[in-house]
Amino acid sequence: MIGSIEVRGLSRTFHTTVRRPGFTGALRSLVNPERAVKHAVSDITFDVSQGELLALLGPNGAGKSTTIKMLTGILTPTSGEARVAGVVPYRERERNARNIGAVFGQRTQLWWDLPVRESFAILRDIYEVPRAEHAARLREFDDILELSTFWDTRVRHLSLGQRVRCDLAAALLHDPMVVFLDEPTIGMDVVVKEQVREFLRHQVEERGRTVLLTTHDMTEVERLAERVVLINHGRLVLDGTLDEIRRRFGSTWQVRATLADPHTPVGPLPGIVLVRRDGPQVVFGPDGPAAPTVHTALKLVIERYEVTGVAVDEADLEDVMRAAYVHANAEAV
Amino acid sequence: MATLHGWRAARVTPLGELYTPPRITAAVLRLTVQIVLVASLWHGLYAHTGTTAGLTRDQAVTYAVLAVLASRLRELDQYAARDTVVQHLHYGTIVYWYLRPLPPHRYYALRALGEQLYGFAWALTGYVICLAAGVVEPPGSAAVTGVFALSLLLGQWVLYYVMLLIDQLCFWTLRNDAAIMILIFAQNLLSGVYAPLWFFPDWFLTLSAFLPFQATLSVPLSLYVGRIPLSDAGAQLALQAAWVVALSLVTRFLWRRAARRVVSQGG
Repeated sequence: MIGSIEVRGLSRTFHTTVRRPGFTGALRSLVNPERAVKHAVSDITFDVSQGELLALLGPNGAGKSTTIKMLTGILTPTSGEARVAGVVPYRERERNARNIGAVFGQRTQLWWDLPVRESFAILRDIYEVPRAEHAARLREFDDILELSTFWDTRVRHLSLGQRVRCDLAAALLHDPMVVFLDEPTIGMDVVVKEQVREFLRHQVEERGRTVLLTTHDMTEVERLAERVVLINHGRLVLDGTLDEIRRRFGSTWQVRATLADPHTPVGPLPGIVLVRRDGPQVVFGPDGPAAPTVHTALKLVIERYEVTGVAVDEADLEDVMRAAYVHANAEAV
Repeated sequence: MATLHGWRAARVTPLGELYTPPRITAAVLRLTVQIVLVASLWHGLYAHTGTTAGLTRDQAVTYAVLAVLASRLRELDQYAARDTVVQHLHYGTIVYWYLRPLPPHRYYALRALGEQLYGFAWALTGYVICLAAGVVEPPGSAAVTGVFALSLLLGQWVLYYVMLLIDQLCFWTLRNDAAIMILIFAQNLLSGVYAPLWFFPDWFLTLSAFLPFQATLSVPLSLYVGRIPLSDAGAQLALQAAWVVALSLVTRFLWRRAARRVVSQGG
C-alpha cells in the first residue's frame, strides 16, 4: 500500500569490542581485542497500515530506535526486509527520504543560528516544495502548533517545547506519507504535549499519514494509538490493540473493602487473593491467570462479606505496560 | 534530483553570519588588525635591505597581506553555529543529513561553496581597499590576473578537500579537535601564510612538495607577486589539479565508508 510499512523478519546484529576493566585490561584490549556480538533486533515482523498510528514500545535498549533507523534507511539490516511506502529504505535512501519525515527526540534538524522560518525555507528548497504549497502547509501547522509566535526567533533561543513543535513541522513540511517519531515529546510540559498530540491526531485522521511512534509516555499511547507493538531484547513480544493488551496484562486491579465487623475472618476467593488487612480495611487482588475481571471480583467480595464501603483501583496503562515488560523479561530469561 | 533548488542550501552559513552582527564586527576588526600588523612586520623586516630571498619589499608585503585576505575565505565560525561535522556527530543530528533527498556529500559541498563565496566577498572587499590604499601591488599583467584567479580557485578547491578529510575523520574518531589544530598550523605554515615558503630551508621545501598545502595558497600568491613566472604556471596549475583529483577520489571513498558509521556514532 502507498503509505504503509511492511517489516518481515528484520534483524540487525552489531559487532562490538569488549573493553576489559582496569589498566591491564585496557592494554590487553588494545593488543588482543575481544569481539562481542549484539543482536539489537531479531526477526521482527509487523505491518502498519496507511493512516494508522502505531506505538512501538519497549524498555530502554529494547531495539526500538534501531528498528526506526532501519526503516528510515540510515541503517542496513543484517537480514530480513522492510518496505516503507513501497520503497526499500536502505537500498533507495534518497527516494525513501521524499516519502518519510522523522523527529528524533530532542535532536533538532533546524539550523541553530537561523530563525526558524529560514530553516523551513532551506528545507523547502532541499525537498523542492513549491512556495505556495509550503506557505499553505505552514499556515495549517501554525493553526495547531502556534508557530508564528516564535518562528522569527533564532533556533538557539527557543525553548524545548517551541523547538520540538518546529521540528515536527519541519519533518512534515514536504508532506511525507510516513512519519517516524522517536520519543518526540520527551521533556516537554503537559500543555505542549497535548498540543503535539492534537497535531499528530490531525495528521493521522485528517491527512491520512502513517505514524510510527516510540515513547515511554503511556498517556500519549493511550490518547493516540489504537495498536501497540512491544519489543524487548530485540524481539517482538506482542502486537495487538490496547484492549487486547489490557486483557492480557491489565489484571492488576485492587478491590478495597471496609468490613462491617472488623473481626470477620477473611480468606481467599476463587481467583482472588487477600493482599493485606488492617483492621476492618481489606484489600483483594487478582490471583494468577485465572483471576476474574474486576467487576466479577467486586461482586464476589460483596456477596461473601458484609461491607460498609467498597472501592476499586484499576491499573492504568502504565501498570499494564509494566506488567507486560516484566512478563517479557521473564520469558526472555 | 534535489539539486534543482537544493543549491540554495549554500546560503546556510552566510545567513548565520548575517544574523549575528557581533561576528561581522569581530571579522572586520580582526582582518584590519592582522593586515596592519602583517604589513608593518614586513616593512620592518625590509627596513635595512632592498631584497631578501629574491623578493622586494613591496612583493613581500603584497604576498603577506594577500595571504591574510585569502585565509579569510574559509574562516567562518561554524563551531558557534553548532554546524560542524563533529558537533552533528556529538549531538546525533548527523542522522538528518542522511534523511534528506540531498545526499550528505552534496549538502556539505554546497554549504562549503556558500561559505567560500561569502568569504570571497570579504577578501575581495579587503583587497580593493588595500589596493586603493597602496598596501598591495596590482598584478603584473592581465595574464597574471587570469592565471592567479584560476590558481586561487584550484587552491581553494584543494583546501576544501583537505578540510573535508579532517571532518570525515570524525566518523571514526568522534573528535577532530587535535587534527584541526594540526591542520590549521600545517596549513598556515606549509601554505606560506606565516611566511613565504622560499624563506624556509631546502628539506622543508622538499617535504612541503609532497603535501597539498602549498597548492592552496603559496602557488596562487607566488604567481600573483611574480615569484613563479608565467612560463611555469602551467605545471603548477596541473599539480594543483592533480591534488584536486586525488583528494576528491579519497574523500568520495570516505563518504561511502562514513555512511556505515553514522548509526554507531550517535545516530
